[in-house]
Amino acid sequence: MGVEDGNMLKGAPFEDPAYLPSRNPSLYNPLHTFELPKGAERHYQQQYADMYFLRLAELRNAVIKQAQEAWGDYQLGNEKARRVERVLDVRQGELCWVVGTVYMEMGLKPNVLDDIVKEHWIVAPPLRATYVSASGQDEMMLEDESGRLRVAGEALNTHYVTGCVLAALGTEQADGTFQVIATQYADLPEQPPRWGRDNATIAATHKQEPKREKSGKVAIVSGLEIMGTGDDDLSLDLFMEYLTGEAAGSPDQSKSRKISRLLIAGCSLSHSNPILSREDFAARKSGKKHYGYDASAYNPSPSERLDSFLAEILPSLPITILPGETDPANVALPQQPLHPALFPQSRQYANPPAQSNETREGLDSVTNPWDGDIEGWRVLATGGQTVSDLLKYVEDVAVLDAMEMMLRWRCVAPTAPDTLWCYPFQEDDPLLVRECPHIYIAGNQPSFEKKVITGPDDQKVLLLSVPKFKQSKSVVLLDMETLEVEIVDFDVVHPGT
Amino acid sequence: MPPKRRARGATPKAHQSTLAFHGTSNRVTKPGARAQNAKKNLLSDTAPTDSKDVVADISPSDAADLTTADAAVVEQTKQEVVAQQVASTPEEDEARKISKKRIDDYWRAKERAREAPRVHQEDLSTHEKILREFDMSGQYGPCTGTARLKRWKRAQRLGLTPPIEVLAVLLKEQDGSNAIVVQRSHVDELLNSRSEALA
Repeated sequence: MGVEDGNMLKGAPFEDPAYLPSRNPSLYNPLHTFELPKGAERHYQQQYADMYFLRLAELRNAVIKQAQEAWGDYQLGNEKARRVERVLDVRQGELCWVVGTVYMEMGLKPNVLDDIVKEHWIVAPPLRATYVSASGQDEMMLEDESGRLRVAGEALNTHYVTGCVLAALGTEQADGTFQVIATQYADLPEQPPRWGRDNATIAATHKQEPKREKSGKVAIVSGLEIMGTGDDDLSLDLFMEYLTGEAAGSPDQSKSRKISRLLIAGCSLSHSNPILSREDFAARKSGKKHYGYDASAYNPSPSERLDSFLAEILPSLPITILPGETDPANVALPQQPLHPALFPQSRQYANPPAQSNETREGLDSVTNPWDGDIEGWRVLATGGQTVSDLLKYVEDVAVLDAMEMMLRWRCVAPTAPDTLWCYPFQEDDPLLVRECPHIYIAGNQPSFEKKVITGPDDQKVLLLSVPKFKQSKSVVLLDMETLEVEIVDFDVVHPGT
Repeated sequence: MPPKRRARGATPKAHQSTLAFHGTSNRVTKPGARAQNAKKNLLSDTAPTDSKDVVADISPSDAADLTTADAAVVEQTKQEVVAQQVASTPEEDEARKISKKRIDDYWRAKERAREAPRVHQEDLSTHEKILREFDMSGQYGPCTGTARLKRWKRAQRLGLTPPIEVLAVLLKEQDGSNAIVVQRSHVDELLNSRSEALA
């Protein structure tokens, strides 16, 4: 018997046994698209040109199809637009369109050639807030296997970044620049229906479709940034108590019992091991010699704190955790799952990696970016590095607009080999969106925003930008039945303010 | 009592200078003179060296000498061979049926398409010429860092319709003696190989 206003101190003591709310299981079917082969099978001898080639080869047909629909019967004056095969085949004065990969030549981008010029030592490049140069010297080029073509034009004020595949309609001018009138991109790919994958496997085994209950909610949080000191404790504990139902009374408990899964989208640990500057490194090297275990080199308390946080929640709620920029995972995309050695307590709730590469009911440590099915909906979640890097190429673009454009260009990380570190894929590029997700989540963004975008074939995608928990103290709750979003704020009242 | 043993690591520095039997100041032999048994080597050294490019044979036995690039291509080739033994794809079946005449016709058609004849390719076999042409076709992707067979299969998978005659040549060469060497494009060898230039 619950109390309506949650205040359990009022009224007579209860006679009936306490009402124990329970959680529905989470219907979870992850994919392993971004997992890299382990050990010696992971090769680095190939060059990044393979990645750009794969991207162009795969997206070219889709872009050509869209462009032909748009410009098939386009006429300017008396001239019909026609397609040219290679980027270098454009002719002066002729109206034509061509497909290529965009390359942005920007002065402030970190440039490996500058590093080589500094012969004596390489300084870690200062973190740039934006690559756009103030003097407007940035150039945009269209590239394919044959070469590069400089492009210019007003249609290009809708921003583009290195790595997206476009069709550009225009004409070449006397100085060799291609003046662009219009552009076209591949747009959203096909979207599988809800429960598409599960129904396909069931149909293959000729069983009947099971009756599925109403789905619960998924709690999405990012940027916990646990440091191991006392600063994180209060709001983190409040969050944990909210999820386990220990905080507040039955109205909040009944809300929180609808949550069937927690998705942590990156940056759970703050700044694992910063790269020392030259002076600090020299000081550390020439410092006192420590015999035995040097405690100053490694501080385990952040990961212990994260582990105990997860272990408190795991008995009643399954968790999917993605690594982020500041987490102890590899730097290059796609970041591989956080190692179970970091979670001595929580790993009891996870399947050992030797046995299986996914855990459906406990702690699933997954890659960043990650895609999978939660309650039948296809979810694509990233830790936010792809979006933040893209925003450095453009000015005054909202986070959700950047996410929308990334989906419409069908690239999860368009800037990937250029300014975002990445594994050199040779056979197959998983960073291309082949099936349109229903939900696209980017963590560690400055603020909470949501938007629904639609595609040419009636695809609908919910874009979610999740703020950092450390700053905003808020958690996003996504209802998996209606796809509605609400936000839960954890506030700490400071006495005296 | 037995004589006292020296403590480890506490050898006193030898202050007495030693005799030097080598070094420029103690040369016994004059620089111009040759030792007796070097005569035979000298005669074989002055034999005219081959004017052709000597392609370094990457044999999988000296794995310690391979660069990572070589090793990766060797491994890719082995994987391809294993995959072929397991199951042959339809393209491979078709390619095995292609006759030598068809390959030669293909190559002649390619040569006719150019206005000028190719230079510096006189001592290459037709198979090698076809494979080099395939390497230099940019529409199938970069040719470095990957085995030729893998590159062909990747182009096929992406729908770029690489010529089936190239696959036929590759499969024929694989049954030959230099199965590993032929999988590596010449450009890749020039860029990444560790072999020293022979004088």
